[in-house]
Amino acid sequence: MSAFLEKLLRSKLTIWVLLVAPAVWALKPLFAPAPTDADPLKTTLLHLGLIGCIVLAAVLAFTPLRVLWPRWGVAQALNRHRRLVGVGAFAYALLHFTAHLLHVYDGGFGTFWKEIQKPFQLIGLGALLILFVLTITSINAAIRWLGGKAWKNLHRLAYVAAALAAWHQADARKIFPLQVVWIFGPLAVLEVARIWKQRVTSLPPPGTTPAQTS
Amino acid sequence: MHLRFPKAWELPESAATPESAYLNRRAILKTLGLGAAALALAPRGLRATTAGFPTRVNADYRDPALKPTSYELITSYNNFYEFGTGKEDPKPNANRGWKTEPWTVELTGLINNPIKIDANDLVTKMGGAEQRVYRFRCVEAWSMVIPWDGFPLSKLIKFADPKPEAKFVTFTTFNDPKSAPGQRTGALDWPYFEGLRMDEAMNDLSFIATGIYGRPIPNQNGAPLRLVVPWKYGFKYGKSIVKIDFVAKEPVNTWKAMQAREYGFYANVNPMVDHPRWSQASERVIGAGGAFGTRQKTLMFNGYEAQVAGLYRGMDLRRNY
Repeated sequence: MSAFLEKLLRSKLTIWVLLVAPAVWALKPLFAPAPTDADPLKTTLLHLGLIGCIVLAAVLAFTPLRVLWPRWGVAQALNRHRRLVGVGAFAYALLHFTAHLLHVYDGGFGTFWKEIQKPFQLIGLGALLILFVLTITSINAAIRWLGGKAWKNLHRLAYVAAALAAWHQADARKIFPLQVVWIFGPLAVLEVARIWKQRVTSLPPPGTTPAQTS
Repeated sequence: MHLRFPKAWELPESAATPESAYLNRRAILKTLGLGAAALALAPRGLRATTAGFPTRVNADYRDPALKPTSYELITSYNNFYEFGTGKEDPKPNANRGWKTEPWTVELTGLINNPIKIDANDLVTKMGGAEQRVYRFRCVEAWSMVIPWDGFPLSKLIKFADPKPEAKFVTFTTFNDPKSAPGQRTGALDWPYFEGLRMDEAMNDLSFIATGIYGRPIPNQNGAPLRLVVPWKYGFKYGKSIVKIDFVAKEPVNTWKAMQAREYGFYANVNPMVDHPRWSQASERVIGAGGAFGTRQKTLMFNGYEAQVAGLYRGMDLRRNY
């Protein structure tokens, strides 16, 4: 079962299908609105944001999964697709932003400019800009230009983007939406476990005190 | 000279069904469908509190420029947190055995005529129902146009006969966690509670809705008695009212208690005063403009400036939001 899953997840096609299918669901109201859908564009906007958060949380979980279970084939398979899934998160964020732009368009962009200055929207915009920078530096050549270390540090901004996205999502509702916990909670747990494991393994093995080794 | 001889199968323009008749056929089919649906729903519809009050259209409140939102959308896109926080939640959840008939409402507080009265008896005492078409503006920057049936709140206040000390009127929503799944969560501080200043409540526009489009107001819209104050944001419209209390001091309404920075006591529609998270300058028009929808400029006091601006003369509306 795990071997089959691993084989399936190693395929780029599987990942493409998994990334594109939710977009079909999110964009459907625009092409076939249900008669009871009061504001199809708003439905699309919310769904795109939701998928963006899920994809971002998912791609960030790949590394801790591999660190925690290095020999697990599924984790290895997933880590082949970090770039593709990461760019997918940016694509959803951009679509979400575009839907918002259309949603506030009232013959001009006055409402847009007024709203974008509010913390709730600035936070979302911040996450989008980070994902944009990470996307344009996701090509192999960028690693050469920047140098491995600088590139790695730059791409650590993905964690900041995730924190901003979670904040933005929580702030979107009048009452705290539990989905933030479902989406970003597991990632937070994995990250804590990963940091803990990396600390333990980077310490000298127990029983080998400096006195003994000398 | 160019001569054209029509083929035998070509029909003259005059034989074509006029577009209006063609469209009308659809309307008839739709009505038939609605009729069948109404028949299926009849047991609830006929038994509903506030059923059986034929509505008289009040021509003073029928602006021909206002195009009412469809009954379907008005009754399926609702904020009624007692039945879930999603807008699609109230329609199914408020119709799973929650009883809105019979219904008793209590008039109490600083009045000469305190009474517990059946909702139907109250409507009868108020002289039955009239219909008014009002703009509806949600604080979330979307709007509808709704034909409400009901009676002016001022009639109810005169019936209650307030004492001079009564300066505010408060409206308490039902509290029944067994029937209302939302009330089993801590989403809000139940029961939902709203209030108006006495002069606001006495304004001609203030209304108690008992129906929509001439039919008893559906559960998800706040059956059987719902406050309607069209120059204010929708959250001021207390639903499924069980108690109307006349008090001396400004009450703290539910959303103000929850989030005073975002929601105030007055909640007057005001395109100049933004919500902390979004602009109130314009609004999405529900059910208009196809899939991509449309936005329109929000009007001061939701277009009722002439009727209500006087209530707030000299007040800083930025502070008293």
